[in-house]
This record gives sequence, C-alpha cells and structure tokens, in this order.
Amino acid sequence: MKLEEFMTTKIEFIDADRSVYDAIEKMVDRRIRSLVVRFPGKETEHGVITARDIVFRALAKKINPKSIKISEIASKPLVCVDSSMTLDDVTRIMEEHNVARIIVCEQEKIIGVISLLDLMAATLIIRARGDYVT
Amino acid sequence: MLLKKILSQGKKEREVIENIRRHIKLLCTACGAFKIAIETNNRDLMLNVIDLEREGDSIRREIISNIYEGAFLPYLRPDLCKFVEIVDDVFDLLKDTASHYLDAEIPDQIQGECVKVALLNVGICEMLLITFEAMLEGKDLREKTLAIRIYEKRIDDIKLGLIKEAREIPTRNFWEGKILSDFMSGLTMISDIIEDASDYLQMINVSMR
Repeated sequence: MKLEEFMTTKIEFIDADRSVYDAIEKMVDRRIRSLVVRFPGKETEHGVITARDIVFRALAKKINPKSIKISEIASKPLVCVDSSMTLDDVTRIMEEHNVARIIVCEQEKIIGVISLLDLMAATLIIRARGDYVT
Repeated sequence: MLLKKILSQGKKEREVIENIRRHIKLLCTACGAFKIAIETNNRDLMLNVIDLEREGDSIRREIISNIYEGAFLPYLRPDLCKFVEIVDDVFDLLKDTASHYLDAEIPDQIQGECVKVALLNVGICEMLLITFEAMLEGKDLREKTLAIRIYEKRIDDIKLGLIKEAREIPTRNFWEGKILSDFMSGLTMISDIIEDASDYLQMINVSMR
C-alpha cells in the first residue's frame, strides 16, 4: 500500500513572521492540528507548528499569542519522508522523532502529511486485506 | 459453518454465488476504469464505465431470476436479493457520476481530490469483494467491515474539503454549477452505498450463525 493512498494532501501553510494567534485562528477555522510554516528557501527547509507547540511553548507559559511570532516556537527543520517509503519505515521514523505527523515529500516538494491516525487506518486495512490480491 | 454449508449447496446456488462474485468484480473494474479516466481525462474510458453498468445490470437480472427459480432456502432469498440490489445501486450511481463527468469540466482546484476519492472508491470496492469472500468462507467479518468504514470516513473527510473548495469556484450558469455539484456528490456517495452493502453482508453472516 502506497503512502499516497493514506496521506492527507490538503496542507495548510502559514508564514513564519505571522503571530501565533494567526496560527491558532487558522487551526480552529480549518479544524486541523498543525500547519506547515513557510520560511524563506526550499520547501524542505520549512517548519511545522502544532497545537502541542502552541499550548506548551506559548499558552501554558502565559505568553500572549498575539505578541509572539510563529518562527519563535515552530519546529524546524521538517521531518520529511519520501513518498516511496513503506508504512513500516514511516512508523519507525515517527517513533524515533517522537512526532504525531510527518511530511511526505517528492523531489524536495511537499506533497502530503501523514498522521498517526492515518498510519493506524492503513495498518487496519492491510490486516483486513490479508494476502488477498485483486 | 452453517453459512458455508448453505451457500455451497446445489448447482443453482453455486451459480448465484459465482454471479455475485462476478458482479462485485465488475464493479471493481468499473471503479478502476473511472479512476484512470478521471486521472488521465480519458473520455472514451469514461464511456466504458457506462457500458460496464449495463453489463452489471444483466448480471443482476440473472442473479435475481436464478434465486427466484429456486436457489437457496426461501428465507434467505430476500436478503441476498437486497444485497445484489445495493451493489447495483452503486453501478447506477457510478454511471450517473460518469455521465456528469462527461458533461462537466472539472476545475483544477478539485481535480487532485477527485482522483483521490476515485482511488479510495477502488479500495473500498475491493474490500467489499474481500468481505464477500470472507463471508463465503464463514469467517468473522469484523475487521473487513471496519476497513470499509475507514475508507468511507476518509472519503467523508475529503468531501468536506471539496465542498468548501467548490464554493470558491466561479460558475457561468446554474446548470454548470449543478452538474459539477451532482458529480461531486455522486463521487463521494459511492462509498456510502458500499458501506450499506457491507452492513448487509454482516447481517446475512450474523443471521446464519
């Protein structure tokens, strides 16, 4: 089963110089838990900001999210995997980096994001398929 | 297994089972052709999807008439017929969606997501076939139906994004917008009906135990 079948291709971006409040707004509006942060340069040099980063690095420390830039708390560089990788490889990399979602790239271009839930769904489908080949 | 015994009896029963299998396999082929057609913008291939629906229709008629000519015990017949009718509903919807595709111009903004839904439709369809085979072997269908629900949920998630995206697409007139909207709802509703079909298989399976 290919990664492409299970990754989310709708990726939301935000510029690194915007405020954390802007990121919160976007995440609430789109009902998502992470955004890819645009830094100048190649796409693989972008970062990521997650709800976890916002809560632990800003809100819990009583920092006003309007007065702090995304670039100050975003994680960088992105943990990227190639679209040709297997689900097992991706699971291992996520475990190594202790991340809940990972960016899928193809020739230095971001093409999707795969989360732990996506991995779980893919694994369950593989189990259900067994060795059946159509 | 009682079910295995019931389903593998006489010649007529075996004929019905083989035809149901053929019916679902044909649906997988139709979904696969639909996916390639939309991905490569191949209108001839999309016309083939419409032809496959006609073939599916004739298999359905054959199955129903075989059942009512005496295949299976009478109490089993309505459930099997209902399952076949549901699979046929998927063919109908696929045909309508293919026709809408031929009428509409799919905007670039939603092309990728539409291909993705079409790919997931192929997956869910294959999973229905796997579930059917598992039922014939008297296996537990729990994992199979869960996989079908996972596919359906993923398509549902994409549907929400598609609708949002579609609101931003300018349309020249009412009909252009309606055809595109019908195409999108058809494309994303195929999985709902396949989920219904799998629920039916689960029901037949449980009631035979």
